Amino acid sequence: MNITLTVNGSERTYNCEPHESLRAVLRREGFFSVRFGAETGETGADAILVDGRLVSSEILLAAQADGHVIETLEGLNLPRGLHPIQEAFVETGAIQSGYSTPAAILAAKALIDSNPNPTEAEVRDALSGILDRETGYLRPVQAVLRAAAMLRGERMAAVEPVLIEPLVALGGTPDMAAANPTLDLDPVAPRVIPSPEVPETKVVGKPERKVDAVKLAKGNPAFVDDIEMRGMLYAKMLYSPHAHARIISIDDSKAAALAGVHAVLHHENTARVRYASGGQSYPNPLPYDQVSFDNKVRHVGDRVAVVAAETIDIAEQAVKLIEVEYEVLPAVFDENEAIAGDAPIIHDEGDMEGAHDAARNIVTHIDAEVGDIEAGLATADRVFERTFRVHQVHASPIEPHIAIAWLDSDERLVVRTSTQVPFHVRRMLAPLLGMPVRDIRIIKPRIGGGFGVKQEMLIEDIVGHLALATGRPVRLELNRQEEFVSSRTRHPQTITFTTGVSNDGTLVAQRMRTVANTGPYGTHSLTVQMVSGLRGLSSYNCPNKKFDCDVAYTNTPVAGAYRGYGAPQALFALESHMDDIATEIGMDVLEFRRKNWTKVGDPLDVAGELGEGAADMKFVPVVTSSGMDECVVQGQRAVAWHRRKDPAWIQPADRPNIRRGLGFAMCMHGSSISGLDMGGASIKINDDGSFNLLMGATDLGTGADTILAQIAAEVLGCPTEDIVVYAADTDMTPFDVGAYASSTTYVSGMAVKKAAEEVHRQIVTRAAIMLDVDSPGSIELKDKAAFAPDGRSVTLEQVALHSLHQDDQHQIMAANSYVAPDSPPPYAAQFAEVEVDIDTGQVTVQNLVMAVDCGVPINPLTSAGQVEGGMVQALGYGHCEEMALDDEGRMVNARFGPYKIYRADEMPRIEAYLVQTMEKSGPFGAKAIAEIPKDGVAPAIRNAIFNATGTQIDNIPFTPERVWRAMRSS
Amino acid sequence: MNTITSYHRPATLGEVVALLGRTDVTTTVIAGGTALNGTSLPTNIEVVDLQTAVAQGIERHGDKVRYGAMTHLQDLIDHYDTPPLIAELARREGPNTLRNASTIGGNVAAGDFESELFAGLLVHEASLTVVDSTGTKEVALADLLTDFSILDRAVITTVSVTIGGETASARTGRTPADTSIVAAAGRIVSSGVLIALTGVAPTPVLVDVANLASLNPPTDFRGTSEYRRELAEVLTKRVVAHLGGAA
Repeated sequence: MNITLTVNGSERTYNCEPHESLRAVLRREGFFSVRFGAETGETGADAILVDGRLVSSEILLAAQADGHVIETLEGLNLPRGLHPIQEAFVETGAIQSGYSTPAAILAAKALIDSNPNPTEAEVRDALSGILDRETGYLRPVQAVLRAAAMLRGERMAAVEPVLIEPLVALGGTPDMAAANPTLDLDPVAPRVIPSPEVPETKVVGKPERKVDAVKLAKGNPAFVDDIEMRGMLYAKMLYSPHAHARIISIDDSKAAALAGVHAVLHHENTARVRYASGGQSYPNPLPYDQVSFDNKVRHVGDRVAVVAAETIDIAEQAVKLIEVEYEVLPAVFDENEAIAGDAPIIHDEGDMEGAHDAARNIVTHIDAEVGDIEAGLATADRVFERTFRVHQVHASPIEPHIAIAWLDSDERLVVRTSTQVPFHVRRMLAPLLGMPVRDIRIIKPRIGGGFGVKQEMLIEDIVGHLALATGRPVRLELNRQEEFVSSRTRHPQTITFTTGVSNDGTLVAQRMRTVANTGPYGTHSLTVQMVSGLRGLSSYNCPNKKFDCDVAYTNTPVAGAYRGYGAPQALFALESHMDDIATEIGMDVLEFRRKNWTKVGDPLDVAGELGEGAADMKFVPVVTSSGMDECVVQGQRAVAWHRRKDPAWIQPADRPNIRRGLGFAMCMHGSSISGLDMGGASIKINDDGSFNLLMGATDLGTGADTILAQIAAEVLGCPTEDIVVYAADTDMTPFDVGAYASSTTYVSGMAVKKAAEEVHRQIVTRAAIMLDVDSPGSIELKDKAAFAPDGRSVTLEQVALHSLHQDDQHQIMAANSYVAPDSPPPYAAQFAEVEVDIDTGQVTVQNLVMAVDCGVPINPLTSAGQVEGGMVQALGYGHCEEMALDDEGRMVNARFGPYKIYRADEMPRIEAYLVQTMEKSGPFGAKAIAEIPKDGVAPAIRNAIFNATGTQIDNIPFTPERVWRAMRSS
Repeated sequence: MNTITSYHRPATLGEVVALLGRTDVTTTVIAGGTALNGTSLPTNIEVVDLQTAVAQGIERHGDKVRYGAMTHLQDLIDHYDTPPLIAELARREGPNTLRNASTIGGNVAAGDFESELFAGLLVHEASLTVVDSTGTKEVALADLLTDFSILDRAVITTVSVTIGGETASARTGRTPADTSIVAAAGRIVSSGVLIALTGVAPTPVLVDVANLASLNPPTDFRGTSEYRRELAEVLTKRVVAHLGGAA
């Protein structure tokens, strides 16, 4: 049918099908700023203006829009430069991946058009339909307020960090925090507590604009789906409706015969090659328990077959025509039942490699001990034991998994994919497709968030198989429901801590026993649990420690990597347990922890028994920097911690059903996997003295490209804008393991720094010739020029032209790589304030404060954004997100809303503090920051509920009925 | 989505009714369209879009406010004649991207058991204008609860509420903007207090405060039947207390 739309001022007739969404039609017509987030419209990534009002374009039929006026971000864009709203989003650090930024900017426009001076509540309402997994909404809300002010003609000061006086370093005691009132600070200003050890820098440590700001703020085509390939086919998967079944027969004849279908692949016509899907270094950790298509399905949502067809409609129709006969088998969903010995065996095939005990559904068993746990417990004055259960959640980046594969003119396979691990994907794909690595190219463009769920070769083999089978470009995008049930999730775990303490509160023995649930495939199962054990047993000094872990196969959706990687599970249990022990022995909850937490010089000894990757690695890291004391007092002040002992505050007189509480959790993470994670970078100079920085590092929206450019700029004496970044393309850039394990700043950053230092050496050598200076080492690079000691200078442009064109021609360039011998831990103090309705069990989180020691934040704006967004994702984990399965293993809430993630208009107050330390092993003093914000929110809420009500709850999330039942039974 | 085979946007109610009266095709009405999309439709259907045939608009007549059924929830919220409880509960139906598309008529026709707006309409003694092949009739919203078949092959053209009377609401959810597990809405009327609850029956319901124990709420992952019954008691008590205990 034909419809007439006025899009961005131009009236035109468009052809569409009656069932097509407006989003689908607009994208087909090249309005790439309108993005897919969910088939039911809840993400708002698809939001546009219809007759001036913000509406999800996914929930409108294109036909419904016939005759209406449509605005997309393309209509707001200026030919060069940014609109003030876009400018405000960039300046405030409101853009991370930028996937939903076009929708947020349109929301701002619609609001400001009708209300030039909106309140914060009105801004939050305007953004309420655009879900954000990245920023925690703080900066987007401030961006809209700032944009409104700019459009009213107000002059806005630049967003600069606010420097806060250290409390501990000035000789203060932790009690000082109680005496000092909470600071009244600009919400958008990053809070930095400086360290006198940190040297002055020009670019590093500054709130630089993101290097990808323009393309993201303008909604330019930059993501996987934003290309048009002639002759592209659309793939659609057939997924298992059963939790556990054998495929007796599969008949694809009707599907294959459907006009427009080009391929139907399944276990009968696809090579059976064993692999593990986790994107990890060579050799991938065992077990190898997957194949592209199997004759057995092991969870609802497991792969059965795939179709490639001319249109997505034909592909969907063809999928329904595939006839599959199943023999349904008994299933098991609980990790403890799965390994009890009498459960259905999930992997009974003969060719599976590397499971610990497949007959008992045990994928992996880990045992690690320091000292003598039994003897330690025997000498303890008191022994405490408690069991905790953490549940299954989904990372839910707003951009789901998507990949497009094609054969290039050399008939090499190119895969453009939303991945965190392009180089691992290339290596892992080769054997599955029967191709040499050299014939595969993986390109990671901008991606709309990852959070670990894209540290996986999840769909690239499918599009690869189909491109080879059809010779045509093939696109596969998961819809939201598929993303929930068929990608990867956080491991559910049952964790028992047993802890012996002496009467003075010193830990003498600590045992962590875990049974983890990996679902039916063991991807990441070993390594997530190693990290879980490491994090569970490293925060505190203790002479006797033991980690004992079984990972169970079950028939739930598959677990894998998710930001935090085992730490949020372990630290929920540990930090809840530590609070309980302190209370039992009558010590202050902070004092008990402070007495035991690791300090500079302390070994993280359990790491030596665990390692990751190389089995024989016995590396014991030592704490080389810690701002933990400062983090705690800053957090105490910010959250007004002293109130937790005030009965009149806990039980407000005017609201008899409300109890208030404050909770704390200590957090400690790592910076990369030492001895394993490697990043490479190369830098070359251009005619104008700018530089191309090529690197394998994989920016997921975190700002990695920006902070790595800042590191190069600092070394090379130029502004960040003179560093042109291209990254994560296996044909073009050096290797990098990818974005995971909090490694990018620390490892890839050092690779960039080393490459830049070599380019620096070449520049000063050339400049010394040009300036006739004997010692190149005396030349300083600053302000885009090379300066001799006597003040004479040549510009970097002159150096470039001289070396490229004029004399003894030479391309100034260098490549380098780095593998870290250390993994210095970032530390953090997480505080939470809650209100509990004692009649209903409803928990309302009022305030989250996290003070983080990430060494030197390379960019305080992006660092603060990482903490704010991470805390809010962690809030979802502790408070409201859960994958609910029915008795048959079907997820009953595979949709945002029922799967509840926080919206802009219901947020607690959130605040991040960046406590500087000088980590000498890191680039310009940096440690990691990406994952630690995920670690402490759930236990801090739990401990706040304990403070408020006296009830200890050992399961998350703290949904109303769970809290109500716990209060009734305690 | 791909089960929609034909789209109609009739200009008049007569044409709407004629389209809905066909027996050889399955026809679905769309108002805002927010409920349609994402729903698994069983078979090939044709959709009838009411945006031309059914009016938007808000008018006050004495103690009644009448909404054209195609009035968007956001317009209802923003209008000065909308009673405060109705505005508050309409806001809770979803974020602005959905409120700008959803309509009051569509909300009523969906009859979602978790709809707080529906509960608010019940205590505001809402009535509907319903048009079908037999003509036009006024239907009390409360009567629709016992017989949703009134809407078979019919369309809602207006929704009217009685204004005035102090109101209150209470709810429990996982987060502040979460769809409530159970919610209570109340309003003082001449005969006492009207209380409507969500989350305790297949649709929002008007309840007898003295007889809440007879409720048999459904169980889902957010709340068991037992818990929902407890919430019904607690939240009703709160609303009644807020309204001065005049049950």
